[in-house]
Amino acid sequence: MSEISKKHMGLKAKERLSNTIIYIILVLMSIVWLLPFIFLVFESLRVETTNQVGYVIPKVFGFDNYINLFTKTDFPIWFKNTFIIGLFASVIQTIIVLSMSYTLSRLRFKGRKGLMNLMLVLGFFPGFLSMIILYKVLSWFNLTGANSVPGLILVYVASSGMGYYVSKGFFDTISRSLDEAARVDGATRFQVFTKIIMPLSKPIVIYTILTAFMAPWGDFMFAKYISHATSAGMNVAVGLQYLISTPSNLAANYTLFCAGGVVVAIPITILFMALQRYYVEGVTGGAVKG
Amino acid sequence: MASVKLKNVKKVYDNKVEVVHDFNLDIADKEFIVFVGPSGCGKSTTLRMVAGLEEITDGTIEIDGVVVNDLQPKDRDISMVFQNYALYPHLTVFENIAFPLRLQKVPQDEVFKKVTEVSDILGITEYLNRKPRALSGGQRQRVAIGRAMVRNPKVFLMDEPLSNLDAKLRNQMRAEIILLRKRIDTTFIYVTHDQTEAMTLGDRIVIMKDGYIMQVGTPDEVFDSPKNLFVAEFIGAPKMNTFRCQLIKENGEYYVTPFGSKLKVDGYKGEELKKRNIEPQEVILGVRPEHMVLGKDADNDIDAKILVNEMMGSELHLHVVTRDNTELIIRVPTVDLSHEQRSKLVNGHEFHITFKGNVMNFFDVNTEENLLN
Amino acid sequence: MEKTNSNNISLFDDLSDLDLLKLTRFQTFLYKIIHFFKAIPHFFVSLFGFIFNFIKGFFVWIKDDFTEIVSTFKEGDYKTRLSYPIMGFGSIARGQILRGLLFLLFEIVFIVYMITAGFHWLGKLPSLGTQASGMVYDPKLDTYVRVAGDDSFKCLLYGVMTILFILAFIYTWRLNIKQNQISEMLLKEGKKLKSTRDDLSSLLDEDFHKTLLALPLLGIFFFTVLPIIFMILVAFTNYDGAHDGYSNLFTWVGLDNFNSLFNLNLGSNNLSLAFGEILSWTIIWAIFATFTNYFLGMFVAIMINKKGIKFKKLWRGILVLTSAVPQFISLLYVSKMFAANGLVNGVLINSGIISDLSHIIRFWEDKTLARIMVIVINIWVGVPYLMLIVTGILMNIPADLYESARIDGANAVQQFFKITLPYMLFVTGPYLLTSFIGNINNFNVIYLLTAGGPDNPKLLTSAGSAGDTDLLITWLFKITTGAESKYYLASVIGIMIFVFVSFLALVVYNVIPSTRNEEDYS
Repeated sequence: MSEISKKHMGLKAKERLSNTIIYIILVLMSIVWLLPFIFLVFESLRVETTNQVGYVIPKVFGFDNYINLFTKTDFPIWFKNTFIIGLFASVIQTIIVLSMSYTLSRLRFKGRKGLMNLMLVLGFFPGFLSMIILYKVLSWFNLTGANSVPGLILVYVASSGMGYYVSKGFFDTISRSLDEAARVDGATRFQVFTKIIMPLSKPIVIYTILTAFMAPWGDFMFAKYISHATSAGMNVAVGLQYLISTPSNLAANYTLFCAGGVVVAIPITILFMALQRYYVEGVTGGAVKG
Repeated sequence: MASVKLKNVKKVYDNKVEVVHDFNLDIADKEFIVFVGPSGCGKSTTLRMVAGLEEITDGTIEIDGVVVNDLQPKDRDISMVFQNYALYPHLTVFENIAFPLRLQKVPQDEVFKKVTEVSDILGITEYLNRKPRALSGGQRQRVAIGRAMVRNPKVFLMDEPLSNLDAKLRNQMRAEIILLRKRIDTTFIYVTHDQTEAMTLGDRIVIMKDGYIMQVGTPDEVFDSPKNLFVAEFIGAPKMNTFRCQLIKENGEYYVTPFGSKLKVDGYKGEELKKRNIEPQEVILGVRPEHMVLGKDADNDIDAKILVNEMMGSELHLHVVTRDNTELIIRVPTVDLSHEQRSKLVNGHEFHITFKGNVMNFFDVNTEENLLN
Repeated sequence: MEKTNSNNISLFDDLSDLDLLKLTRFQTFLYKIIHFFKAIPHFFVSLFGFIFNFIKGFFVWIKDDFTEIVSTFKEGDYKTRLSYPIMGFGSIARGQILRGLLFLLFEIVFIVYMITAGFHWLGKLPSLGTQASGMVYDPKLDTYVRVAGDDSFKCLLYGVMTILFILAFIYTWRLNIKQNQISEMLLKEGKKLKSTRDDLSSLLDEDFHKTLLALPLLGIFFFTVLPIIFMILVAFTNYDGAHDGYSNLFTWVGLDNFNSLFNLNLGSNNLSLAFGEILSWTIIWAIFATFTNYFLGMFVAIMINKKGIKFKKLWRGILVLTSAVPQFISLLYVSKMFAANGLVNGVLINSGIISDLSHIIRFWEDKTLARIMVIVINIWVGVPYLMLIVTGILMNIPADLYESARIDGANAVQQFFKITLPYMLFVTGPYLLTSFIGNINNFNVIYLLTAGGPDNPKLLTSAGSAGDTDLLITWLFKITTGAESKYYLASVIGIMIFVFVSFLALVVYNVIPSTRNEEDYS
């Protein structure tokens, strides 16, 4: 065998070895990443005890936890609350975020740079700090505790304009000469917005709607503070955490919590997977640019 | 169809950088004007000010006698073709062309009539149902022109419309624009960095540099009598040869003395020098590559050696070096040479070059202005 | 002064570009570091210069503006002059009815507000109230009567709003003067003024940005700007659960709160100690959380993207699937899984690896172990997301870069360090900063996993307890929601977070080459 082909074989073998190592790592990773969720599903189907146990496969399978979750806890209320919040937030927030990002990306006006710097600096304040005053003011209008839903919608939506970065990144990638061509063709800036840019921005509109809808399902900090330990005003995150917040609660509700987790995770996961394409576009196009 | 007047137009960016200084130009009705210059000379900015896409910092722009400074682009009755075509990706070719009409709420049957009329002229009727994505560069270009044509604007603006096309297509489209221009019959302002486009298309050419107008004139004027060294070097390809030398006067005749030789200025230029009684002085001599011929001539020849011979097909570009190591480019039509003569023109070959004294240009060494302005 | 031996160039001098090329890479690195620190004094000088110029410019502006106001009055016609007391008069008189009416309406609302409430709240601002609600002895009736009293919270909030309203009024009034001046000038030049119809239609064209921004900015003003101003002011009061504002008024205390946070000599008060402890953990956490995710995410993405690896979609799909589940579910579940009596310990006992209950692993009860756990679990939560981002960017790296590197003889590792990593760092620079700031304020991961625990007696302060994994943000949450509700302390900590984050951003923005030039894309 000649030197060259020997070397060639060596390269191939090396390649095969490195690929094998990668496959092993990927399989191990997949297991580590998936296992807790598989455990979660198993534990949610366990009937024999509601407490934590030292094994994964239930001794008695059944849907008792799911039934109890919907009949014996406030979970339906939490689910409904979160759903309503998500619905309103997704509509209003999309309007606000798109207005903001479109303006900052495609319109030129005095004070634009200043406004963007102001947004940046405001973002350096921990958002939670505002909650102290917002809670108090919302409570004057009776929008806390059991009535948290409208209060939370207001809180999520009102400042959402500051989260314009991703969609601005998207708008920035559309050629400016399109706007100019349309304006020369006789369009007002409003018509440029409605007739040219919006039809081209479907991915970012969908992205914005879905992220706005999904955010309330995972928010914990604001929801906990505003609902103020009143079950009727909780979202699913706060509610499910509340289910297992004390040792005695944990013993009585642990498997119910698992069932709740599954119930919430399924629709959100499906939504997320459906939106993945837009998500990737949004994240790589906009988030990276800041 | 309208005249365009630019009076003392100025553009300053961010209160600092002045990119267009005191621009004055009267464009007649139905004239085809070309702004040409190297990148950054302010030609596009000026065009965009006419379009209303850039604010006018100072001065006024009139279209058809109306000051348009404060008018939005949509109210100026202009149309524009962009360098990257700027077609609306989500609309079909038909809707792209119809877009300006839709904004004017023109009834559908009229829209159809006008769009098909335009698409017939441009030969894109078969693509009317396609999206721009599915078109080639040349076809996109036509759609862009069609969209600009469809509403019979007062002024037709074109911002480097051909620079995204390959060389062959560019030549073809250039010819088509000349034809189109005859059909559309309106005022054109065309921006390009390519002097060939400028020379072939323009009724008048505006040559710009660093935000200043260098010269305004017909293609003949700017070619024959460039106002200054910049214009002389910018117009024409390969560019004009220039060298410092003395302009002297002996027995009432003018001579120039490059590379230790003495060349006579005769013909039109000689007469002009005499008529104006120009003082003998140091000048920058400008000689176009085509204004030299191979061979001996008693008065006006020098000897030179070939460095590079570029065969362009219809002509040869000879890069030669004179006795005092000055480099020159000479353009020789291929038909003027026999096969045998051509085979001799290789690197190192020594031969004689004769200057045509009647087409030389003389520029002031300090101001770089043409002495015969 | 240290001289480099080889070429007699001093790294302390400002070197020309050509001289820089003579340095080895290590010397270049040293040079950059030296000059970063050398530039700091200059930075402060220019900062103070900037502040000085800003203040100077401000006063010059005020002076110029004042002169202009006076001259507009002197030179103006009666319509302009009457607009000084009656806003919008000029506009109405010149036919711009809508503008004029809006000006006038604003003035009327302002005057009515100031008379009915504004002056009242303004007067309360210096004291934040003098009379608490409760029973007060009334000598006339010779008994205690209930009085409404002041509410410090309202005094502060309405006081601030009144000041902002006054500023807005001054601005609008000035706008009204300017309006008259411009209108007069235009009329003199023989131009027409915009009609009401023009004004309205411009809202969809020249002024379209105003239309679009109105709603978002209104929301941001009332739900972000105003609360931030309010909370900054709270840091200078003694507002807390005991001084709730109406049954027990709170008032200004100057810099006391900041003193108590930074004063190390207060023996009984270990607030500054707790703050230092939590701040340093916050920084450690943010560094680890950001960079472990970043590099591991990149590693995973590169593995999956490697040529010859099959089922790319499957591997990506699995990871993305796990990041799709709402964080609170995965975090809460994992937290319980690793609890003392959780699944992991249970399985370990059942399988005999741990002999009895006394040997269970207390994941959340040991400082070091708990800290490692939150970082590791954060990797589990965050890597899929990073993988997504990195994959997108990897695909954007021009392939010819790798081709030319291969031709130049670079192996896979060299390709990573010479091409992939620099490119990634360049593109994701701003993202890294955002994600670092996000981690400083990463409430969810910490609160849902450990709730800040294990509690550390050393961190027990007058504001309540804190634990070893508490970040500033979770500490802030605890301080606010705890029994003591030390709002003023929460404000001070919030301000400290702001200062820290701004400083960081300032440094990073100055160091990272600008990747955010938005015009590049258009």
